[in-house]
Amino acid sequence: MSLREPAWRVTARELESSFEEEKGEGERPTAFLLSPFAARMNRVLMAGTLSPAESIGREEAQAFWRARLSDPTGAVAVTAGSFQPRAMAQLRAASSPRPAIVVGKVHLFRGRDGVGYVSVRAEGVRSVSEVEERATLADIVRQTLDRLDLLERVEKEPALTEETVRKEGMPPAWLNAARESRNRYPNVDRAAFRRDLRAAVRRVAGDSGPARATLSTPPTVTVTPAPAPRPPPPAPTAAERAEESLFLDQLDEVADVSADGYAVLKEVLARVSSHGLVADRAEEVLNRLEEEGVIEEPIVGKLRRA
Amino acid sequence: MVPEPSAAAPVETRLRDLRPTASPVEFVARVVTAERREVTRKSDGSRRPLLSGLLSDGTGTVRFTWWDPPREGVERGVVLRAVGAEVREFRGRPEVTFSWKTRVAPASPAELPKVDGEEMPFRTVRELRPSDEGFRVEVRVVRVAPKSVSVGTERRVVHEGLVADRTGAVALSAWSDFALAAGEAVRIAGGYVRAFRGRPQLVLDERSSVVRIDGTDLPDPAQLLRSPPRTISEVEDEGGGETVAVEGVVVGLLPPSGLVYRCPTCRRSIRSGICRIHGQVEGQADLRARIVLDDGSGALTVNAGRGDTEKLWGVTLEQAQARLRNQPDPSLLEEEMLESLLGRRLRVRGTGTKDEFGVTVNPESIERVEVDLDSAAEELLARLGEGG
Repeated sequence: MSLREPAWRVTARELESSFEEEKGEGERPTAFLLSPFAARMNRVLMAGTLSPAESIGREEAQAFWRARLSDPTGAVAVTAGSFQPRAMAQLRAASSPRPAIVVGKVHLFRGRDGVGYVSVRAEGVRSVSEVEERATLADIVRQTLDRLDLLERVEKEPALTEETVRKEGMPPAWLNAARESRNRYPNVDRAAFRRDLRAAVRRVAGDSGPARATLSTPPTVTVTPAPAPRPPPPAPTAAERAEESLFLDQLDEVADVSADGYAVLKEVLARVSSHGLVADRAEEVLNRLEEEGVIEEPIVGKLRRA
Repeated sequence: MVPEPSAAAPVETRLRDLRPTASPVEFVARVVTAERREVTRKSDGSRRPLLSGLLSDGTGTVRFTWWDPPREGVERGVVLRAVGAEVREFRGRPEVTFSWKTRVAPASPAELPKVDGEEMPFRTVRELRPSDEGFRVEVRVVRVAPKSVSVGTERRVVHEGLVADRTGAVALSAWSDFALAAGEAVRIAGGYVRAFRGRPQLVLDERSSVVRIDGTDLPDPAQLLRSPPRTISEVEDEGGGETVAVEGVVVGLLPPSGLVYRCPTCRRSIRSGICRIHGQVEGQADLRARIVLDDGSGALTVNAGRGDTEKLWGVTLEQAQARLRNQPDPSLLEEEMLESLLGRRLRVRGTGTKDEFGVTVNPESIERVEVDLDSAAEELLARLGEGG
């Protein structure tokens, strides 16, 4: 049965701290991003201040826009391309930061240094009044706290059953998410995350205005990623990372619509060049990604993620 | 009336008590459905007539097969006494066969087993399953209203409504007039349960009995219709329900939403001026919204009609039509509607049905929910305090 995936209520901080992926079952498996705080997300609902969008596509026909959604805990990139025309129009609509609600699918890009970059591919964006933004933030914080409470209970009562959880009015799926989250992120500082949520509650109460402080604070959530097999090569520059991200995004889009699941190399190269990544550079990026084992070319001229 | 049981004569049995047995049985029952067929014999190619269908005596229903039946006179509603019928089991349920050894004769409805409610096993609403019968329930009538329907060529009045006990609510469909009124507490015996649009429905006919009772332990109908919202994942688990109440946020609209055209006869929405059933028709404009409502635990579809759509969107059908004349692209209307609804918090009550795409609610009411930010902040701050 393919029921619609619910929109998990999450803060930007929770998304920023998530890097564990999970594939669902079935013919067309749904991809999930597992957070350290018991969310198993395919779709999310967020509220915050949305910055004006910038175009990251170079050609009219392949429009792709990106904005930043900041809430009192952090910030996350929100993107929309020509496959989400409405959301794209909404992203582009404003020339100054405004309160907004965003519904979309989470997307994790893992750079070659092993760091994950989470963005939200918007399905719906709406500029809202500050009161609505705060009300949605209240919903987000409440459900986040519900999940944190559940995590604590799972630790104290390992025998907690789906039936009990259901009786208490919580979705049984949350219990599984909490268990999985504990397995994948064994050493998470939840107290620090709770402190971050305080800022969000103050916002619900109306304490800080729409002109949010710039969010340069380092993440206060410490997670222990899986040990790297070997020391990483010299860290890539931000520009290189952006090129890789562009390349992989285009590869995914081509692969998504292809019959066999492979992306045709020529088409990917054509697309990235239309986004300003010229042939030589694209070749370099391709080689780098292949060396890193991120993508592979099992059939000459056809690419896929490794 | 009832013959004394003896060693030789079959014992009169109630259909509820039928068990596959070597010895023939006797019973009195009413024909519920009957269908005539012919079966070709393999040995000589001759054709043998066969009548099959359903029999009921108020305590249970059983399939019957009648070899070489009379040419006429056996039809829906006729009461029969069968002596010497064979009982077999098919797919775990008993079936009866009438052969040349069976004597079948018309009987009077008075000979049907007296089934007063007292004898029938008591069930709660939650326990009712399609094809159940021969039970009694004690319920509160939440609402009931007559409705005229066509059955074949006939016009009949059916009293449709909702009844409930402490365990749940079930749709009611009474084909006889029991003068039911909302708020009454009743003991119903001799009804049966069928599946209607994937939900169980309690059906009453002339064989059913309705007795008014005190019913102090039955829920107050007003309270039932005001029950607090539940999570969408619960509603998904239960496959919908007669009195679904949920609260969530609008996360999308499904097509067709916005301005639609409907067939003037059947109210189905039409495409390119053609109704699926009635062909080329003059479509009537209507407004609708198929809202995707999400509470974080799950998502469902709310089929909002014109009234709710106008109220939520703040645009009337006339205004929408006027806009369409200025800007002849209906998809823009849908976008505009989504832009006014996305992220809005709604409380929805109605009837929920479930199919492979999830739960769909036909709403009785849709309300906007205003959040008290101060008390929300206070509550959240208190909760944050606990865990440090």
